[in-house]
Amino acid sequence: MKHCPDCSVDIEGEWTSCPLCGAPLSGTSTPSPLPAIPLSFSRRRVFRVLFFISLAVILASFLAQLLLSHGSRGIGTLRSVWLGVSAMWLVVMMAFRKRRNIAKGTVYLVVLISLVCVYWDYLTGWHRWSVTYAVPAVCTFSIIALMIATWAMHVEVDEHVVYSGLTVLFGLVPIVFVIFKWVTTPLPSAGCVLLSVIALLYLQATKWPDVRHELGKRLHL
Amino acid sequence: MTRHTWVRLDNASNIFLAARSEADPKVFRLSAEMDHLIDPSLLQEALDITYERYPLYHAVLRSGIFWYYLQDSDLSPVVTVDYEHTCAPIYQPDRRTLLFRVVYFRKRIILEIFHALSDGTGALWFLTDLVIEYTRLRYPDEFTQLDTESDVSGRSVSETAEQEHGLTVDSFAKYFRKPSRKVTDSAAQFAGHAAPVISGILARDLSSSDKLNAPIRSPHSSGRKIYRVKGTRTPDNRTRAVELTMPVSQVLALARAEGVSLTIYLTALFFEAIRLSSGGLGEANTLTASVPVNLRQFFPSTSPRNFFATTRVEHTYGEGKDDFTTICQELEAQFREKVTPQALEAKLRRFIRLERMPALRIVPRILKDVVLGLGNRTNNRGLTVAISNLGLVRLPEPADSHLGRMLLQVSAARPQFCSVSHAGMLAVCFTSPFTELGHVKEFVRMLTSQQVEVTMAVARVTEEELVGAGP
Repeated sequence: MKHCPDCSVDIEGEWTSCPLCGAPLSGTSTPSPLPAIPLSFSRRRVFRVLFFISLAVILASFLAQLLLSHGSRGIGTLRSVWLGVSAMWLVVMMAFRKRRNIAKGTVYLVVLISLVCVYWDYLTGWHRWSVTYAVPAVCTFSIIALMIATWAMHVEVDEHVVYSGLTVLFGLVPIVFVIFKWVTTPLPSAGCVLLSVIALLYLQATKWPDVRHELGKRLHL
Repeated sequence: MTRHTWVRLDNASNIFLAARSEADPKVFRLSAEMDHLIDPSLLQEALDITYERYPLYHAVLRSGIFWYYLQDSDLSPVVTVDYEHTCAPIYQPDRRTLLFRVVYFRKRIILEIFHALSDGTGALWFLTDLVIEYTRLRYPDEFTQLDTESDVSGRSVSETAEQEHGLTVDSFAKYFRKPSRKVTDSAAQFAGHAAPVISGILARDLSSSDKLNAPIRSPHSSGRKIYRVKGTRTPDNRTRAVELTMPVSQVLALARAEGVSLTIYLTALFFEAIRLSSGGLGEANTLTASVPVNLRQFFPSTSPRNFFATTRVEHTYGEGKDDFTTICQELEAQFREKVTPQALEAKLRRFIRLERMPALRIVPRILKDVVLGLGNRTNNRGLTVAISNLGLVRLPEPADSHLGRMLLQVSAARPQFCSVSHAGMLAVCFTSPFTELGHVKEFVRMLTSQQVEVTMAVARVTEEELVGAGP
């Protein structure tokens, strides 16, 4: 074993000078009981910074739209391109961030895309395309997509059931649009609500104990 | 589909989630050094057997709206060679991964645990069982029929034991939530079949219950400036670990000569080492140490979940006598006063009451994390160092004779040491978020100047050190 004459300590491992005082060591070296692990650098911090910068830029570009005149004349196609790029960026970012839980990610996307669509519609003169077509379509297809994904990816019930339930409940929201006559044609909303009711009944019939168990866990006080 | 059982994360463990950071991922490492190079396939086999016995270790950590909870999983642990640095992060939010890992390097079997899962004593039970199973597979001839049938460390593998290693038992709730009369009843009833395996002071700094310390903080600390060690962070935020091994008898003799316990002796030595390496304490002339106390020694429990409280001892330099003997006596007196079942029970009851307050229970978890994190940061300002002594460990034969030293290391937000004694050797492992080793140098020199034979191993953390390690 190596020995530091200044500290009077025996040192395990292959050191040429004392790690404590730097004095040259005597004796022969023995294998170190600790491996020499190369330095590693986590990309997590870079990702986190990028995420918050992106979020700030997207929010700023959405808010900046308010300063421009409303209606279709405004800045015209440029607005659509700008909003499209921001929305796409937001969607990709959230999908990536929530990639580990497909059901949770779907809930996030349904909410985000719906809000963006309504805002976009509002900015371009409120032609009601968002509440008539976009939001019901997003809700309908998210329910279908979730059904396929959870089946194909063998997602465990406890992992998705709460979020699936939430997605289905969002599917009932378009009924509000119809009641308040915000829609130009009620067909897409009706389809969405019908699918949600069927999905809800199905969930209640087959997964109700799981839903209750999961909610009990997550809402435990 | 089988529905996974779950349990809310216990009282002390919540703080680990709020207080973890890149430099201090709240992971601790318990290692056992055998007398031969480890056989990974046998270790895997032993791990599979031990893992079955500890349902708690199957748990993954998930977050609810108001609390974190532990949930059973179908995952199986895989033994690997030690390829990460000491106390590398284990818990990753949003991922369902086990909260511990078992690795090996040369002669060592290493168990690393995310502190929210278990404490030093709980980890020691697991590692002890693992080492015994491993030895049984490695040296089958040495085990008699009787050994094979009875459980390790004399505990019987009954269904109750399984339950107690499981997810269900939160000893904090058990002892400190109900009215005291009931507590004594259940304590007495529980004590019947729950022989505490290890007594002594256990693993871990931590701050959760330090908050509780505030009301009973010794009066003379008020207004004092507490010294905090500053230094250069390691390049990739890894824990700087240094292992000192020495004959326990030699250090024990020194402690006895001062008339104090080993823990207090080492703490006093640590204070002196910090003072000597500081280049002058200046105005901040009070040193404090956080010392965890294993509650199992007062409130018997066989649950491997966290069950400890921390207390704080301190010394102010430049007021009265500062010689080593005086410091030892002062620390010993403070420790004796704080570590009594009554003092601890009162403290923990206050904490549990706070935790059970309806108004606080409905605060969303994210906010709780922020508040706990801030509380932890405030609390850190009052701490110079942390120490913890797992005490003397003994395994049943024939496993014991194949086991050399045992070592405990904890990821650290401040300089810290953890000690364990086994096979006549005391392993004092220093950890720190900083690269500087001044305090270790002083610590070593104080021991070696008193003819203690110290052996040291240093984990390489800086670029220069790693280059020196060669290819």
